[in-house]
Amino acid sequence: MKSAETKPEIDKHTLKQMIAPIGKRIRAASALGVASSSIWPLQAAVVASAIAGLLPGQSGGLGTFISVAIFSALGLLRAGLTYFAEGQTFKAGLQAVTSIRREIVEREMQTIDTTSAASTAALATEKLDMLVPYIIHYAPAHARVIVLPLILLAITFWFSWAAGIVLLITGPLIPVFMALVGMAAKEASQRQMEDIGTLNNVLIERLSALTDIKLLDASTAVIAEFSDGADRLREKTMRVLRIAFLSSTVLELFSAIGVAMMAVYVGFELLGMIEFGTYVEPLSPAAGIFLLLLAPDFYQPMRDFSAAWHDKASALAVAGELAKWRAETPQKLLGQGANVEPLSGAPHIKLQGLVVNTGSTEIRYSDIKIVQGESVALMGPSGVGKTTLLKLLAGLLSPDEGKITVSGQPLNDETADAWRARMGWMPQVPHFLNMNLAENISLGQSGDLNAATRAAAIDDVIAALPGGLQTHLGETGGGLSGGEARRITLARALFAMPDILLVDEPTADLDEGTAKQVMAGLALLINRGCTLIVATHDPVLAAMMDRTVLIGGAS
Amino acid sequence: MNALWKIFRLVLKEQKTAILRGAVLSLVVLLAGIALLSLSGWFITAAAAAGLIGMGAVFDVFSAAATVRFLALGRTAARYGERVLTHDATLRALTTLRTKLLSTTANATHDQLMRLRAPQALNRLMADVDALDGVILRLILPLAAGVLAQLITFGVLWWLVDLRVALWMVSGFLVGSAIILIWTARAATQPSSQEEAVAQSFRSHFIDLMRARADLAVYGQLLRQGKDTLDIDANRQRHQSHLDRIERRSGFALSLMGTIISAGVLVIGMTLTETGDLTPALAAIGFFASLALMETVGPLRRAMAELGRMLVAAERVDESLAPPPLRAHCSDYGETAELHIANLSFRRSDAKRPVLSDISLTIPSGESVALTGASGSGKTTLLLLVARLLNPSSGNILIGSVPLSNWDESKLRSSMTLVPQRSILMSGSIRTALHLADPTATDEDLWRVLEAVSLASVIKPKNGLDFNLGAMGSGLSGGETRRLVLARAILRRPKLLLLDEPTEGLDADLALLVLQGIRSYLPDATILMASHRDVEKNWTDYSIDIDKLAVTALTN
Repeated sequence: MKSAETKPEIDKHTLKQMIAPIGKRIRAASALGVASSSIWPLQAAVVASAIAGLLPGQSGGLGTFISVAIFSALGLLRAGLTYFAEGQTFKAGLQAVTSIRREIVEREMQTIDTTSAASTAALATEKLDMLVPYIIHYAPAHARVIVLPLILLAITFWFSWAAGIVLLITGPLIPVFMALVGMAAKEASQRQMEDIGTLNNVLIERLSALTDIKLLDASTAVIAEFSDGADRLREKTMRVLRIAFLSSTVLELFSAIGVAMMAVYVGFELLGMIEFGTYVEPLSPAAGIFLLLLAPDFYQPMRDFSAAWHDKASALAVAGELAKWRAETPQKLLGQGANVEPLSGAPHIKLQGLVVNTGSTEIRYSDIKIVQGESVALMGPSGVGKTTLLKLLAGLLSPDEGKITVSGQPLNDETADAWRARMGWMPQVPHFLNMNLAENISLGQSGDLNAATRAAAIDDVIAALPGGLQTHLGETGGGLSGGEARRITLARALFAMPDILLVDEPTADLDEGTAKQVMAGLALLINRGCTLIVATHDPVLAAMMDRTVLIGGAS
Repeated sequence: MNALWKIFRLVLKEQKTAILRGAVLSLVVLLAGIALLSLSGWFITAAAAAGLIGMGAVFDVFSAAATVRFLALGRTAARYGERVLTHDATLRALTTLRTKLLSTTANATHDQLMRLRAPQALNRLMADVDALDGVILRLILPLAAGVLAQLITFGVLWWLVDLRVALWMVSGFLVGSAIILIWTARAATQPSSQEEAVAQSFRSHFIDLMRARADLAVYGQLLRQGKDTLDIDANRQRHQSHLDRIERRSGFALSLMGTIISAGVLVIGMTLTETGDLTPALAAIGFFASLALMETVGPLRRAMAELGRMLVAAERVDESLAPPPLRAHCSDYGETAELHIANLSFRRSDAKRPVLSDISLTIPSGESVALTGASGSGKTTLLLLVARLLNPSSGNILIGSVPLSNWDESKLRSSMTLVPQRSILMSGSIRTALHLADPTATDEDLWRVLEAVSLASVIKPKNGLDFNLGAMGSGLSGGETRRLVLARAILRRPKLLLLDEPTEGLDADLALLVLQGIRSYLPDATILMASHRDVEKNWTDYSIDIDKLAVTALTN
């Protein structure tokens, strides 16, 4: 993407790119759509001659049954073509949206940034879905608006130049007005979309803080504030809708005036009250009825196209968000996070000349060797890079310089998954998946769950939960205290029976008793021969380890 | 269906006039459309007939032409009015519905709130309510207006044209579209509600994937979670394609039905004209009316395909709209804030073990007590029970001399505050954060309370009370956040203050300073804190081990 491009250009460019792979399918479907719409003039001709044939002194109609049979057969053909055309565009829409959704999920599977999960999820779900109406409606409507009015105009001029002029005058006013309204619509719908985003964010916060809000007796105020926000959103939505309604009303008005003028002109002409507008002979009754039947369909493609114009405005807004997401450059994970055979050999670890850039600062680590079964405390002031080192060891981050050797092999994309298969991990703040507690501990592996919860001294806590191991917890372990959530991650680590365990601040913010329980759990792992690497501030915990490594310049 | 009906009645009650007016206008739109096309058809055919026999001069062409113009303009105006009116009314009703939902969510029990997954709750408030806009706009109004328009057309055609034409056309439309639309609704209900469920599951799997990425990667489950997420999306596509097929079939059937009815009208009209029962112009009315009547059924096809989604949304919304519990009222709460707990037990339903059993404790007004005990011994639960966020399984809690269950909610909250272990701040200025606790507080009051928790000097260089916090209160360190939450609580000047590990994340010197600040800000308050830090225990008047409370009760 060139930096010189402006935002609207980027949006347009992205949108074009998004629908490029389905171009062929859409063109085929649009052609089918045009074919289906061009059947109506034929049906109209049959009906016009049939009705005219009823008039005294008029003959040459096809007769009741033949007319009706042709009319019905054409109707069947039209419905069938529409059925197939719509099916094609729907498939195209689904295909485009699916491939973008896959792109988003696949990139998120390989990165390690945890920011803005909610907004990325919103992009991958309801926002991408807003592309489907655009794909389904826009290109087919565009094809119809280019072809059909011209065909109908030509037919009308064939019979009567005056009737042709009626269409010619009212028709072109439509695109002019539409463009004006379209510009206003895009701006209004963008503002409305931003407002939806803001309201959603406000609401997510309020929902997370409901307990605090209740304790502060602020429910009424917060609800009133939300109600105001929702009301503002309603007003903005109505503003968008008013523009949309106004534009369709104007189109309808032109189309209604056009049809009415056509009816009046044809009527007067047939009555013989005006004698201009045709070429040699006056208009025949059949031609008059035919022209009246055609007139609404002259305007219909333009009305469809104008409706699709609004779909395009929202599709462009979605494309803009996708472009923004694509412009992010997140940190990549080593390996795929797959469940593979563990790396063989003794799990010795060797760090040589590691340097990491965390955006604001550059962290340099001294060379470290850790052998199988060793327990090491990483100590140093906050922000010095202890957690970052744990992430490097887990292959969740890759260093900018230097190398990490594990079990005698370099830690890279090929070895990372196998290396992690021997590893356990205790983060400081866990995220609980939307599954029950048992599944959150076992994470899809088999083993002895009860032994793990017992060893983590968490079985008492689980027994007091409403559903025991079947309980679903909130995202950050709502319903458990910080210490309890920490012990759940300990149970997870114990359950996995790792050869190496990386632990981030296991005793921070815990009372003495709980800290002791957590340390006992860690001691259990040390006794099993597990290599333990613990980032900590806690001198008691550090003393339990074989040795302490100071991270940071001062040492 | 029941839930859908309830929601409809709710919306109707909210916006009765606008919706009724909108309904009348939708009927006008449909009727004007039918009249316009029929009249034009009649006019042309009649004009041709008159022209052919040289009667052009006596044919009343001007009133017909004027009516055509009037109908064309009137229909356009009515359409605009109907759309603005019904959309505005629906959006207003939905806003009210959202507000109601938020307030019932706010009234949920503590356990429900703790397990509330914000994205799911958000979905109920936004997406589900959005799905309900179709109930009025795309389902009920078009259905009512469509059926009425068909019946009126039937009457007019019978009177103007012929009973046989009217009967064929209107019964064809009524019966045919009923069969097709009911089939559509039946076929689509299941896939459309499944599609919605699968979409929700995709979102929750994807959010889990992003939020728990590191854990999943280390335990080798990231790839599987990603595959599951994509599989769910593939499953969703299957449902979507299925729905699309149903909707297209329904469209095909409706289009074919229109063709057959028009063809039938043509046959009947032509036959009757040949026998002389009808003039050609009247036969034309029938045909043109049959074309126009398609407009009464077209929009319903969408609504039928969406019915399943609407039903799921209506059920979920209706379920969440349960009324809040009523509380007994008490007029005299007294001035003291003595806390008296007697034989209190608490066990969660279906739990194997009680969290608390038979706890008794009395704290005289104005004293401060540290509650100690190992993690998991129930300190937090006891505070939640006293704060009435949980209801005890048995036993009594009295504040002053009034049983806790008799306190009026608002009165209770102004007399007592709990600072939980994890508090959540929201984006906005420091002033906004504090005003949540007391909207009437002046800036001077706010500085005083910030001073009490030793936060004033931190905030001052950062733009003072106008310092803006980011999402979820980001922008302050852990210790600063803690102190702001404490400030927010004591700003309400509660008589009973419950604190759950209040100085976590503060070093001992600062912790003591903050605790002293709280006491001098609230000199008369009764304070009960769950604590495991020496600095907190030493600061309170005395400490009690929660495990001993039950024993004391037994020996008494």
